Amino acid sequence: MPGASEQIARLREEGMAAIAAARSESDLLDAKGRFFGKKGAVSAILKGVAALPVEERKAVGERANRARAELESAFDSRLAGIREKERHRSEGRERIDVTLPGRGPMPGHRHPVSQTMSDIISVFRRLGFSVQGGPDVETDYYNFEALNFPPEHPARDMQDTFYVESAAGDLVLRTHTSPVQIRTMERMKPPVRIIAPGTVYRSDSDITHSPMFHQVEGLAVDRDITMADLKGLLTEFCRMTFGPATPVRFRPSYFPFTEPSAEVDIRCVLCGGSGCRVCKESGWLEILGAGMVDPSVFGFVGYDPEEVAGFAFGMGVERIAMLRHGISDIRLFFENDIRFLSQF
Amino acid sequence: MKIPYSWLKEFIDTRLSPVQAQEALTMAGVEVSSCRFLGEGFDSVVTARILGMAPHPNAERLSLCKVTDGSTTFGIVCGAKNMKPGDAVALAKIGARLPNGMEIKKAKIRGQASEGMLCSEQELKLAETSAGIMVLPGDTVPGTPLADALGLSDWLLEVDITPNRGDCLSVLGVAREIASITGEKVVLPDVSFTEEGEPIGEWVRIAVSDPDLCPRYTARAVSGVTIVPSPDWMRRRLTLCGIRPINNIVDVTNYLLLEVGQPMHAFDLDRLRGPRIDVRAPKETLTFTTLDGSERKIDPGMLLIRDAEGPVAVAGVMGGANSEVVDGTTRVVFESAHFSPPSIRRTAKRLGLSSESSYRFERGVDPAGTVYAADRAVSLLSRFAAVTVARGVIDLGAGNVAPRTVPFRPERATRIMGKVYAPEACLEIFGRLGFPAEDHGTGTWSVTVPTYRFDIEREIDLVEEVARLSGYDAIPATYPESKAPEFSGDDRFLDIQERAFDFLRGRGFSQSVNFSFVASRTWERLGAFLGFDPADAVRLLNPISDETTLMRPHLLTGLLSNASDNVRRFVEDIRLYEAGKAFGKSYVEGHFEEPRLGVILCGKRLPGDWSGADAPADFFDMKGVVEPLLLHLCASPVHVVPTRLRPFFEEGKAADILRDGEVVGWFGAIRKELLASYELTGPVFYAEIRLLKATASPPPPGRYVPLPKFPPVFRDLACIFPTGVPVGDVLAMVREVSPEVDEAGVFDIFTGEKIGEGNKSVGIRVKLQSQDRTLTEAEVHSIHSKIVDLLENRFGGKIRTS
Repeated sequence: MPGASEQIARLREEGMAAIAAARSESDLLDAKGRFFGKKGAVSAILKGVAALPVEERKAVGERANRARAELESAFDSRLAGIREKERHRSEGRERIDVTLPGRGPMPGHRHPVSQTMSDIISVFRRLGFSVQGGPDVETDYYNFEALNFPPEHPARDMQDTFYVESAAGDLVLRTHTSPVQIRTMERMKPPVRIIAPGTVYRSDSDITHSPMFHQVEGLAVDRDITMADLKGLLTEFCRMTFGPATPVRFRPSYFPFTEPSAEVDIRCVLCGGSGCRVCKESGWLEILGAGMVDPSVFGFVGYDPEEVAGFAFGMGVERIAMLRHGISDIRLFFENDIRFLSQF
Repeated sequence: MKIPYSWLKEFIDTRLSPVQAQEALTMAGVEVSSCRFLGEGFDSVVTARILGMAPHPNAERLSLCKVTDGSTTFGIVCGAKNMKPGDAVALAKIGARLPNGMEIKKAKIRGQASEGMLCSEQELKLAETSAGIMVLPGDTVPGTPLADALGLSDWLLEVDITPNRGDCLSVLGVAREIASITGEKVVLPDVSFTEEGEPIGEWVRIAVSDPDLCPRYTARAVSGVTIVPSPDWMRRRLTLCGIRPINNIVDVTNYLLLEVGQPMHAFDLDRLRGPRIDVRAPKETLTFTTLDGSERKIDPGMLLIRDAEGPVAVAGVMGGANSEVVDGTTRVVFESAHFSPPSIRRTAKRLGLSSESSYRFERGVDPAGTVYAADRAVSLLSRFAAVTVARGVIDLGAGNVAPRTVPFRPERATRIMGKVYAPEACLEIFGRLGFPAEDHGTGTWSVTVPTYRFDIEREIDLVEEVARLSGYDAIPATYPESKAPEFSGDDRFLDIQERAFDFLRGRGFSQSVNFSFVASRTWERLGAFLGFDPADAVRLLNPISDETTLMRPHLLTGLLSNASDNVRRFVEDIRLYEAGKAFGKSYVEGHFEEPRLGVILCGKRLPGDWSGADAPADFFDMKGVVEPLLLHLCASPVHVVPTRLRPFFEEGKAADILRDGEVVGWFGAIRKELLASYELTGPVFYAEIRLLKATASPPPPGRYVPLPKFPPVFRDLACIFPTGVPVGDVLAMVREVSPEVDEAGVFDIFTGEKIGEGNKSVGIRVKLQSQDRTLTEAEVHSIHSKIVDLLENRFGGKIRTS
């Protein structure tokens, strides 16, 4: 077959050109059919090889096979190229903007007072205290008398009281959560270990006083409770709440229902002790009132003060929340401005 | 109470500096809230004398003053006109930094050098305003530091006294407290004087008719009094302590009140009829004019000081206008008494009249100190005034005064405090306190408590003394012995509440905390829509404003205000909730209070959505929060039924939530009139849940049912109903048609002309499923027919055939 080699070379050239010219997968498949199909040019040549003289057959056959292999490889890589391009193109069409906001509401915000209260409660629950509630509208007996505030005692002036209209004339809005101590001890025998979170009321209103605010009260009564236990527990609480390195001090104070009584101060979180407006230049901040349950209180609930001892403590939640978040006006808590709430 | 350090030093020569005293007192339980140097800013300010004055050559209003501090002469340009040559003035030298912050520099004023400044009281912060410069008394020595000249080289301690420590409401009391901390000794000032007048009994007769209310009454009298201002040093101390100087007699009584804590009263002896004094509570109501000019209604039982004809003072509270010391007074009776604390408190409360005197008597004034105070008063007075002191003292009830003895066991202190207090240590502390103690080692001691310590009656009170004076710092920090925690019903409630908060937070709601009050104004305006009779509201007797008159009967008003306030601040998509109590009267228990959860929703359904789904929220958005919330909290199904009982909701857009037949909450669209009064436009949805009822008796843990092994069959039915047919009821009945109906739901609802006025088309999808077999075509058909029968015959529906 004269010119077989030239024919193969031409065919290879044409094939390469067709592969290169193919713009899409179907173009390429067309080209493939033309060259490699049953009636394609390559098949024709290979068939022709059989008709060649034996001496030529080997050389031409080798050349033809080489050309075929080269074309097939060119085809495969072209096909891969076209498919890759195609995938890119379609991806571009289907790609979404992942930076758009997701559907559905973003989470709301917990009120800082409620959050602080919840955090305080969980510290004491971990330390083995259980929760007790009590009424906001209280009797004079539970709010004052059984807590050792005698009727004509100046200690009653410590708390500006709201009085509630009632037939017996003995109702008040509780001025502290301490009545829960009495209600609990009336109901339970020692050991007692409770915390009482709740709403309290005093007829006072300015930048640091609100007619309604929140307290968390604690009470533990058992055979061998001591003031040292109170000190250990509250020191731990202050550190869990304000940071492990927070200095804490206990100093004597007065509450009618505890004796001895203590005021618990932490090192001022704002000035670190050098003195500022918030700590009134003292370097310390009052955080808790506490003390050993007064024997007269035990008398009111029928506990024997020679048999049991107990400690009680109470703290203002708003004050702690104000210190934690750097809020200087207590009234912000009750305005419920969403722009304020969203900060917590 | 404010106490100058120099005054304390007259009673105790303490080694504590003012700042050390502040710290020591505070840590012993007598809180000193501030300790301030009075001469702050008076460095380089000295007294000076004006040598001469000449007009300023270039300024009409200014003058050139030549002043001397005794050694140097200074030329000062001054704008004031109230001084003359020879006057003593306050000179701020170059470099002084005045209390008002002004710095004095060398200056040329209109061409004339000024070597300092003559100060006004305002510039020295000694007065709010001043007309000219400060002119000092004529005998002032030039060159004295001004702080010394004014007695301001001193510190002022502000002591916050707790109600149990009335004994510390005086210089003497605080000095005693320092003594019990440091072990130093209190020295009482000398009270010598000569008695040259007639015996006091010839001037006035005194009786105490109510010794229970007045256990001790002491009096001294003087004649030859001239009413003039008291000496500067006394006036200065009174002013520092916040008491306005009046005249020499009144000032002496106030000085003693501050110094030893004994409230005293001075009567003009010549205005006392009789002249006699009787201490007695009236049996009838009467009126009496106190020296502040107010006419007071005196009830039976209020203790009065009377003369021969009628009241002259409300005992321990305030004197009367009819017997007070006046300009012409020449003879004075000083009263120094002990009144019963509860009696004084009752009277002061009832009269709405709290005085420095009643404040002290309420907290307890030393009954053993009356004579010393009376003696100190006449002794002081005779030192600066030429008076004649009547011979003798009237002292009624001295026998009523006896110190108390209180038992004490050191072991008790150790047990309460968790720190060992050795008997020797306790004895040492009682020694510092001045409490004589019979030491019985580890046995029971007998401790004698001075009459001024009203707060010490029981062993525990002595334990506190020992603990506080050995320092709370010395108490170790231990932990209470660990016990298995109890889990109370309130723990469970708190957990439920936390779960509700988490759920709502996840749904985009933020938490409000409102006051538990409702303004009565709000109720008057909106009462008809609040669904609660104000007569049934819990009412406060002493509100501080209209805002705090009533206790809220539900959480609606607070959340509506929050919505309104936020909309006004351009926050328009409102999702808020609040957990708090609702209050009301109850005929069984007097009043009730119930924990509730209020939820308010308005604005867009999906705030911030960009896909076109930003429709306004509607009733079903609220239902879609409340219903899953309740399932989340109590895991047992609730029923939603239309209600007409909630006047705050739009009619036809209000529902009650029932659980086991009990109303556990309600929700709906707030009615238009309410919206208008809160300046809200657009629909607002509100829900309130009775948290305890809604979550009571939680269902037992779910029982496992084997999962179906056979395939389900789904059937869709489209049915036309009259509009009023409740679809919820339809679905409930469909579920009851046969045990094989596993689920029934709505997939489509529409109205329109095609299906006729007054109708709605409801698409219902049922899932049929058997536990034990594959349902046959015939079975499915039979159930389907039963459903069709139900829809048509029970609910008046008509099956649509597509």
